[in-house]
Amino acid sequence: MNQTERRRVIEQEVIKCSRCGTCRSICPVFLAENNENTTARSKNRMMEAVLEGDVELTPGVQERFEKCLLCKACKAHCGSGVATDKLIMEGRAAAVAHNGLSPAKKMAFTGLRYRKLFDLGLRTGALFQNLIFKKLPDGRGCVPRILLPGAGLNQRRIMPNMTTNPLRSRLPKFIKAKTPVSKGRVLFFTGCMLNYMYPEPGEAVVSILTRNGWDVVIPEEQCCCGTPAFTSGDVETGRFLAEQNIKAISAEKHDHIVTACASCGAALKHEYKHILDNSSLLSTWQEISTKVLDISQFVLKYCDLSKLGKLPFKVTYHDPCHLVRGMNVSSEPREILKSIPGLKFVEMKDANRCCGAGGSFSAVYYELSRKINDKKLDNVEDTGMDYLVTGCSSCRMHITDGLTQRNSSVKVLHTAEVINMAYDAASRKEGKAC
Amino acid sequence: MLKPDVIKELSAVVGADHVMTANEDMIIYSNDATMFNAKPEAIVQPGSRDEVVEIVKIADRHHLPVTCRGAGTCLSGGPIPLKGGIVLEMTRMNRILKVDPVNKVAVVEPGVIAFALTTAANKVGLLYPPDPSSLKESTLGGNVSECAGGPKGVKYGITRNFVLGVEAVLSDGSIVKTGNEVDGDMAGPDWTMLFTGSEGTLGVIISITLRLVPIPAVKKTMMAIYDRLEDAAKTVSVTMASGIIPTTLEIMDNLSIVSVENYLKIGLPVKAGGLLLIEVDGVESTVEEDAKRVSEICKKCGASEVKMAKTPAEAEELWLARRSINPAFGQVAPCKFAEDATVPRSLVPVLVEKVLEIQKKYDVPIFICGHAGDGNMHPTIMFDKRNKEQKERAEKALHEVHIVTLELGGTLSGEHGIGFAKAPYLRAETGLAGYKLGQEIKKAVDPTGILNPGKMFFYEGELH
Ligand SMILES: Cc1cc2nc3c(=O)[nH]c(=O)nc-3n(C[C@H](O)[C@H](O)[C@H](O)COP(=O)(O)OP(=O)(O)OC[C@H]3O[C@@H](n4cnc5c(N)ncnc54)[C@H](O)[C@@H]3O)c2cc1C
Repeated sequence: MNQTERRRVIEQEVIKCSRCGTCRSICPVFLAENNENTTARSKNRMMEAVLEGDVELTPGVQERFEKCLLCKACKAHCGSGVATDKLIMEGRAAAVAHNGLSPAKKMAFTGLRYRKLFDLGLRTGALFQNLIFKKLPDGRGCVPRILLPGAGLNQRRIMPNMTTNPLRSRLPKFIKAKTPVSKGRVLFFTGCMLNYMYPEPGEAVVSILTRNGWDVVIPEEQCCCGTPAFTSGDVETGRFLAEQNIKAISAEKHDHIVTACASCGAALKHEYKHILDNSSLLSTWQEISTKVLDISQFVLKYCDLSKLGKLPFKVTYHDPCHLVRGMNVSSEPREILKSIPGLKFVEMKDANRCCGAGGSFSAVYYELSRKINDKKLDNVEDTGMDYLVTGCSSCRMHITDGLTQRNSSVKVLHTAEVINMAYDAASRKEGKAC
Repeated sequence: MLKPDVIKELSAVVGADHVMTANEDMIIYSNDATMFNAKPEAIVQPGSRDEVVEIVKIADRHHLPVTCRGAGTCLSGGPIPLKGGIVLEMTRMNRILKVDPVNKVAVVEPGVIAFALTTAANKVGLLYPPDPSSLKESTLGGNVSECAGGPKGVKYGITRNFVLGVEAVLSDGSIVKTGNEVDGDMAGPDWTMLFTGSEGTLGVIISITLRLVPIPAVKKTMMAIYDRLEDAAKTVSVTMASGIIPTTLEIMDNLSIVSVENYLKIGLPVKAGGLLLIEVDGVESTVEEDAKRVSEICKKCGASEVKMAKTPAEAEELWLARRSINPAFGQVAPCKFAEDATVPRSLVPVLVEKVLEIQKKYDVPIFICGHAGDGNMHPTIMFDKRNKEQKERAEKALHEVHIVTLELGGTLSGEHGIGFAKAPYLRAETGLAGYKLGQEIKKAVDPTGILNPGKMFFYEGELH
């Protein structure tokens, strides 16, 4: 698409917004702030004003585009189906082109582009994190020792311990199925959060796949999916990373692609279309996108649920935005959880409402994101369950932070971890029986 | 632009965080749910009645227009600050002050979302019936100011039937209290009714006393499907003539059905010419009987099918279709004139026929839907404002809808208000004497004319 075509597409989308204000009852940011500036219709209005030349791409306009979680709730709720999320990304990209990225983001995204450098950076980050973070005595994570507002590190914020031994270093590139015959090969796209922050769910994914008869390949050349960059308006870095991933994925033979990160999955399955607009790799991506499945979809479709063992857990489930609205995944994890013998599942209120993380949103607007998160935590605690299960590490980090700050006894687990525990429970029992 | 001194004065009252003056803010607060816009010079968000008083006094002193804003979902341009000045955003004042189950009244601040009151009333076994489709977004201050209606209006009436009293800040900063908690009665004329539907032109409402009713024991929901929209319309007048008063009698035309189905995919009859959503409520014995009789009337009037909801979930499904019309408009065209032409119930079939003719004549899509049971129809004319020629046709169609409505003895506004979108036709409805009286009343209550100027009886454009 050239500039004129792009403008036309944006105009077409903007004018679909009838300004009815239905977004007021659904936008988590609006509900927390009670200010018209934050509603979807106002973002669209802002875009319209920019297009009509009523206002320049001022820092004020940029800030209004920034203050959005990209949770897609407005779009899902909107009768006219206005893709406000896309418009906001366009707005951010235009604003970044006009005003530039904030210095902290600029540094982070340059790092993302150089996989090795990024890898090294995060690993050294892990080694040196004690300089920046103070570990909590109970091993639940760490709080920052010094304030790094640029990186969104609020004194209160509790981050998980970064691992010195990332997922992709723990696992070989090829892992054979644990069954005598292999059913095929699954490519596992790990993403950064599972790789550097939460390797255990990543290991659980591999274990689920191999015990169900699938060979696994984890391409070494995969890198960040690009979501943090392109959602911040750095389209160039976003495209660079998307292309790198498409090359890495298409270099490996595979039958399916599995993700266990809502944002990576949504990026690979849908968002790349937008990012790769003028890229020669667009058709390669189209092929790839048809094979992408979230781990819960894959388990429901290709794994044996009858082998799930007894798990006496009391759980509730939180829908990550990028799963429920990004990949249209919501019934799958519930169906799996409900099929685990002995597990008690209670639905929480507003399970599909954003937890307030929103990637870099929670870094820039930490206090606001906590306020949004508090509602989620109340709903979690109201269920009286012991565990909150979810399929997104970013949600997990943000929710865990909140739970820890309020000394809650609720623990957070990734869907894949619960599934794998259920499989473990069954094999332990079998082991005993024979 | 306001002088820095004035901004300082405003900030001193509500705090700098609650005064917005950036150009970007002005653009955002220049709108409601219509396609019109006009920028204010400042947005002020008062947090209490005292703050409202102080702000109005400042505005009065500097002779600044004050335009109240609730959720900004108005469909007639009400909260658009035509003459600049201050937009007073009332949504911070959102406390439910009292729900009294014994006397069946609620006292609320104006920024309370209607749905919040519905929920609070339900909790103590009571019902607040007015249910505009914007229930989850719009504020009670906005509802009272526009006299909002909804599907339950057929049996229960619209907002006006539930307002017992208000407190309002007048343009000199004094507070007037109207009505009372007992039965809304007060010596002299009905002051409360003066403020109900006054669209922010007479005073800033700071508290509202509302009547609640018992929740009916049972209700039955059904959907009647017709080949011809005219037959659905005929059912409305026949039902009302039969003596049964349903809670709800909503009509949807084919365009509404298809658009909602495209959006929700809930299995609506996309080939039908029209359908009626009907609900009856009350005590068990009569509800069963009424439902049966209504269903028979539908069939007699030509319904090809009548679906009766067997569970609350099924009823909710039937309702979903109706509730989703508004959001589905956008699929047909980006812009709309969302009308609320209201005629005597017996004339609904005539209005429907006329609108069908207008639609043909000007070749613009018109959704024909609405609260048919109380004659409050929503012919919604769709167009793309970028297409000048089409916009002109839409405007002509709109003009004819207004004229037809008045000719049928109806009103321009069953619930969306006059604002300035319908102000050009106001005199045609009130008559010259009525129009003058409207102007005199406004001048008497707001002598300086700072409250929502340029609207209703003070429209400055050409009158029909
Ligand atoms: C999708 C959609 C569906 C709708 N469905 C219906 C429906 O079914 N029935 C219906 O009746 N309407 C409906 N409307 C119209 C609208 O929702 C109503 O008119 C509603 O009452 C407006 O409330 P608000 O809080 O948005 O007020 P606003 O739009 O902000 O303001 C409306 C008017 O009230 C004045 N006002 C607001 N607060 C105060 C106050 N405290 N003191 C004095 N004046 C005040 C404003 O100045 C303005 O003139 C719908 C609108 C939309 C967009």
